[in-house]
Amino acid sequence: MLPLSLLKTAQSHPMLVELKNGETYNGHLVSCDTWMNINLRDVICTSKDGDRFWRMPECYIRGSTIKYLRIPDEVIDMVKEDAQVKSRNRAEMKPRGGVGGGGQNQRGRSGGRNTFANRGGGAGRASSQGNRPLAQGNKIK
Amino acid sequence: MASGLEAYVNSTVSIITADGRNFVGTLKGFDQTINVILDESHERVFSTTSGIEQIVLGLHIIRGDNIAVIGQVDETIDTRLEFASIRGEPLGPVVH
Repeated sequence: MLPLSLLKTAQSHPMLVELKNGETYNGHLVSCDTWMNINLRDVICTSKDGDRFWRMPECYIRGSTIKYLRIPDEVIDMVKEDAQVKSRNRAEMKPRGGVGGGGQNQRGRSGGRNTFANRGGGAGRASSQGNRPLAQGNKIK
Repeated sequence: MASGLEAYVNSTVSIITADGRNFVGTLKGFDQTINVILDESHERVFSTTSGIEQIVLGLHIIRGDNIAVIGQVDETIDTRLEFASIRGEPLGPVVH
Protein backbone atom coordinates (compact mmCIF):
# COMPACT_ATOMS: atom_id res chain seq x y z
CA MET A 1 0.00 0.00 0.00
CA LEU A 2 1.33 3.44 -0.88
CA PRO A 3 1.47 6.19 1.75
CA LEU A 4 -0.10 8.67 -0.65
CA SER A 5 -3.06 6.40 -1.44
CA LEU A 6 -3.67 6.09 2.29
CA LEU A 7 -3.53 9.87 2.55
CA LYS A 8 -5.99 10.23 -0.32
CA THR A 9 -8.32 7.77 1.39
CA ALA A 10 -8.11 9.91 4.53
CA GLN A 11 -9.79 12.85 2.78
CA SER A 12 -12.56 14.39 4.96
CA HIS A 13 -11.15 12.62 8.04
CA PRO A 14 -9.58 14.45 10.97
CA MET A 15 -5.81 14.26 11.26
CA LEU A 16 -2.79 15.61 13.05
CA VAL A 17 0.11 16.92 10.99
CA GLU A 18 3.47 17.61 12.59
CA LEU A 19 5.82 19.86 10.65
CA LYS A 20 9.60 19.66 10.67
CA ASN A 21 9.68 22.83 12.79
CA GLY A 22 7.66 21.06 15.52
CA GLU A 23 4.37 22.90 14.97
CA THR A 24 1.31 20.66 14.80
CA TYR A 25 -1.85 21.22 12.80
CA ASN A 26 -5.11 19.48 13.71
CA GLY A 27 -7.85 19.59 11.12
CA HIS A 28 -9.93 17.78 8.54
CA LEU A 29 -8.16 16.86 5.30
CA VAL A 30 -9.80 18.52 2.30
CA SER A 31 -7.38 17.50 -0.43
CA CYS A 32 -3.83 16.37 -1.10
CA ASP A 33 -1.57 15.90 -4.11
CA THR A 34 1.35 13.71 -5.16
CA TRP A 35 3.83 16.02 -3.39
CA MET A 36 1.93 15.55 -0.11
CA ASN A 37 0.86 19.21 -0.20
CA ILE A 38 -2.33 19.26 1.86
CA ASN A 39 -5.37 21.40 2.42
CA LEU A 40 -6.93 21.35 5.92
CA ARG A 41 -10.24 22.75 7.22
CA ASP A 42 -11.18 23.85 10.77
CA VAL A 43 -7.58 23.90 11.91
CA ILE A 44 -6.00 24.28 15.31
CA CYS A 45 -2.30 25.07 15.12
CA THR A 46 -0.14 24.34 18.15
CA SER A 47 3.28 25.87 18.69
CA LYS A 48 6.38 23.68 19.08
CA ASP A 49 6.29 23.76 22.90
CA GLY A 50 2.52 23.21 22.93
CA ASP A 51 1.79 26.38 24.89
CA ARG A 52 0.22 28.54 22.18
CA PHE A 53 -2.74 27.77 19.95
CA TRP A 54 -4.26 29.35 16.89
CA ARG A 55 -7.61 28.58 15.28
CA MET A 56 -7.94 29.04 11.55
CA PRO A 57 -10.77 28.15 9.17
CA GLU A 58 -8.40 26.58 6.65
CA CYS A 59 -4.75 26.23 5.74
CA TYR A 60 -2.52 24.86 3.01
CA ILE A 61 0.68 23.01 3.97
CA ARG A 62 3.60 22.38 1.65
CA GLY A 63 4.37 18.65 1.62
CA SER A 64 8.10 19.06 2.03
CA THR A 65 7.65 20.74 5.45
CA ILE A 66 5.79 17.74 6.93
CA LYS A 67 7.43 15.41 9.43
CA TYR A 68 4.54 12.99 9.86
CA LEU A 69 0.75 12.68 9.70
CA ARG A 70 -1.35 10.90 12.30
CA ILE A 71 -4.50 9.40 10.77
CA PRO A 72 -7.55 7.67 12.32
CA ASP A 73 -6.96 3.89 12.55
CA GLU A 74 -10.04 2.95 10.53
CA VAL A 75 -8.77 4.71 7.39
CA ILE A 76 -6.32 1.89 6.62
CA ASP A 77 -9.22 -0.58 6.37
CA MET A 78 -10.95 1.68 3.86
CA VAL A 79 -7.90 1.49 1.58
CA LYS A 80 -7.98 -2.29 1.88
CA GLU A 81 -11.61 -2.30 0.73
CA ASP A 82 -10.54 -0.24 -2.26
CA ALA A 83 -7.76 -2.66 -3.09
CA GLN A 84 -10.05 -5.67 -2.69
CA VAL A 85 -12.61 -4.21 -5.06
CA LYS A 86 -9.83 -3.58 -7.56
CA SER A 87 -8.35 -7.05 -7.32
CA ARG A 88 -11.84 -8.53 -7.64
CA ASN A 89 -12.25 -6.54 -10.84
CA ARG A 90 -8.89 -7.81 -12.04
CA ALA A 91 -9.86 -11.38 -11.23
CA GLU A 92 -13.02 -10.93 -13.30
CA MET A 93 -11.03 -9.44 -16.15
CA LYS A 94 -8.44 -12.20 -16.37
CA PRO A 95 -10.60 -15.20 -17.31
CA ARG A 96 -12.54 -13.04 -19.74
CA GLY A 97 -9.32 -12.19 -21.53
CA GLY A 98 -8.35 -15.86 -21.52
CA VAL A 99 -11.68 -17.09 -22.91
CA GLY A 100 -11.77 -14.39 -25.54
CA GLY A 101 -8.18 -15.06 -26.54
CA GLY A 102 -8.75 -18.77 -27.07
CA GLY A 103 -5.28 -20.10 -27.95
CA GLN A 104 -2.70 -20.81 -25.30
CA ASN A 105 -0.19 -18.34 -26.70
CA GLN A 106 -2.67 -15.54 -26.63
CA ARG A 107 -3.82 -16.42 -23.17
CA GLY A 108 -0.25 -16.31 -22.00
CA ARG A 109 0.28 -12.95 -23.63
CA SER A 110 -2.89 -11.43 -22.25
CA GLY A 111 -1.96 -12.75 -18.82
CA GLY A 112 1.35 -11.01 -19.09
CA ARG A 113 -0.27 -7.80 -20.12
CA ASN A 114 -2.60 -8.00 -17.17
CA THR A 115 0.22 -8.49 -14.71
CA PHE A 116 1.96 -5.50 -16.17
CA ALA A 117 -1.20 -3.43 -15.93
CA ASN A 118 -1.63 -4.49 -12.34
CA ARG A 119 1.86 -3.39 -11.51
CA GLY A 120 1.26 -0.03 -13.10
CA GLY A 121 -2.01 0.26 -11.23
CA GLY A 122 -0.33 -0.43 -7.93
CA ALA A 123 2.49 2.01 -8.38
CA GLY A 124 0.53 4.76 -10.03
CA ARG A 125 -2.55 4.70 -7.86
CA ALA A 126 -1.76 7.87 -6.02
CA SER A 127 -0.70 9.88 -9.01
CA SER A 128 -3.02 8.82 -11.80
CA GLN A 129 -6.62 7.92 -12.26
CA GLY A 130 -5.69 5.79 -15.25
CA ASN A 131 -6.88 2.49 -13.84
CA ARG A 132 -10.11 3.75 -12.34
CA PRO A 133 -13.42 3.02 -13.98
CA LEU A 134 -14.57 5.88 -16.17
CA ALA A 135 -17.58 6.73 -14.06
CA GLN A 136 -15.43 7.27 -11.01
CA GLY A 137 -12.96 9.37 -12.95
CA ASN A 138 -15.77 11.61 -14.07
CA LYS A 139 -17.02 12.01 -10.54
CA ILE A 140 -13.63 13.24 -9.44
CA LYS A 141 -13.48 15.80 -12.23
CA MET B 1 14.88 -6.21 -6.08
CA ALA B 2 13.85 -2.61 -6.11
CA SER B 3 14.07 -2.00 -2.41
CA GLY B 4 15.14 -3.94 0.66
CA LEU B 5 12.14 -2.45 2.45
CA GLU B 6 9.76 -4.75 0.55
CA ALA B 7 10.97 -7.61 2.77
CA TYR B 8 9.82 -5.73 5.89
CA VAL B 9 6.23 -5.10 4.77
CA ASN B 10 3.68 -6.41 7.31
CA SER B 11 6.36 -7.03 9.91
CA THR B 12 7.23 -4.98 12.98
CA VAL B 13 9.82 -2.29 12.33
CA SER B 14 11.61 0.29 14.42
CA ILE B 15 12.10 3.69 12.82
CA ILE B 16 14.52 6.31 14.06
CA THR B 17 13.59 9.73 12.76
CA ALA B 18 15.82 12.71 12.04
CA ASP B 19 14.65 14.40 15.25
CA GLY B 20 15.90 11.42 17.27
CA ARG B 21 12.56 9.79 18.06
CA ASN B 22 11.95 6.04 17.92
CA PHE B 23 8.69 4.73 16.43
CA VAL B 24 7.79 1.04 16.48
CA GLY B 25 4.91 -0.39 14.47
CA THR B 26 3.82 -2.56 11.55
CA LEU B 27 5.15 -1.43 8.18
CA LYS B 28 2.13 -1.41 5.85
CA GLY B 29 3.71 0.28 2.86
CA PHE B 30 6.28 2.69 1.47
CA ASP B 31 7.10 4.57 -1.73
CA GLN B 32 10.11 5.79 -3.75
CA THR B 33 10.86 8.61 -1.32
CA ILE B 34 10.66 6.23 1.69
CA ASN B 35 7.44 7.79 2.93
CA VAL B 36 6.19 5.02 5.19
CA ILE B 37 2.86 3.76 6.54
CA LEU B 38 3.24 2.61 10.14
CA ASP B 39 0.20 0.89 11.67
CA GLU B 40 -0.45 0.29 15.39
CA SER B 41 2.58 2.39 16.12
CA HIS B 42 3.94 3.53 19.43
CA GLU B 43 6.81 5.79 20.39
CA ARG B 44 9.52 4.61 22.77
CA VAL B 45 10.85 7.42 24.90
CA PHE B 46 14.24 6.72 26.46
CA SER B 47 15.33 8.25 29.72
CA THR B 48 18.30 7.89 32.06
CA THR B 49 16.18 8.32 35.19
CA SER B 50 13.25 5.97 34.49
CA GLY B 51 12.40 3.02 32.22
CA ILE B 52 11.38 3.27 28.58
CA GLU B 53 8.02 4.96 28.26
CA GLN B 54 5.81 3.63 25.46
CA ILE B 55 3.28 6.04 24.01
CA VAL B 56 0.54 4.52 21.86
CA LEU B 57 0.02 6.56 18.67
CA GLY B 58 -1.84 4.45 16.09
CA LEU B 59 -1.75 4.90 12.31
CA HIS B 60 1.00 7.15 10.93
CA ILE B 61 2.39 8.30 7.62
CA ILE B 62 6.01 9.26 8.23
CA ARG B 63 7.61 11.40 5.55
CA GLY B 64 10.79 9.95 4.04
CA ASP B 65 12.79 13.18 4.57
CA ASN B 66 12.45 12.64 8.29
CA ILE B 67 13.56 9.00 8.43
CA ALA B 68 17.12 8.10 9.43
CA VAL B 69 16.96 4.32 10.04
CA ILE B 70 14.41 1.53 9.52
CA GLY B 71 15.11 -1.81 11.17
CA GLN B 72 13.16 -5.05 11.38
CA VAL B 73 12.21 -5.99 14.93
CA ASP B 74 12.63 -9.57 16.16
CA GLU B 75 9.30 -9.90 17.96
CA THR B 76 10.31 -12.87 20.10
CA ILE B 77 13.19 -10.85 21.54
CA ASP B 78 11.15 -7.65 21.68
CA THR B 79 8.33 -9.17 23.74
CA ARG B 80 10.90 -10.53 26.21
CA LEU B 81 12.28 -7.04 26.94
CA GLU B 82 11.44 -5.42 30.26
CA PHE B 83 11.03 -1.83 29.18
CA ALA B 84 10.46 -0.56 32.71
CA SER B 85 14.01 -1.50 33.69
CA ILE B 86 15.85 -0.30 30.57
CA ARG B 87 17.61 3.05 30.93
CA GLY B 88 19.18 4.96 28.10
CA GLU B 89 20.00 8.43 26.96
CA PRO B 90 17.55 9.75 24.38
CA LEU B 91 19.00 10.32 20.90
CA GLY B 92 19.63 13.84 19.71
CA PRO B 93 18.48 15.13 16.35
CA VAL B 94 20.48 14.44 13.18
CA VAL B 95 23.13 17.13 12.63
CA HIS B 96 23.14 18.23 9.01
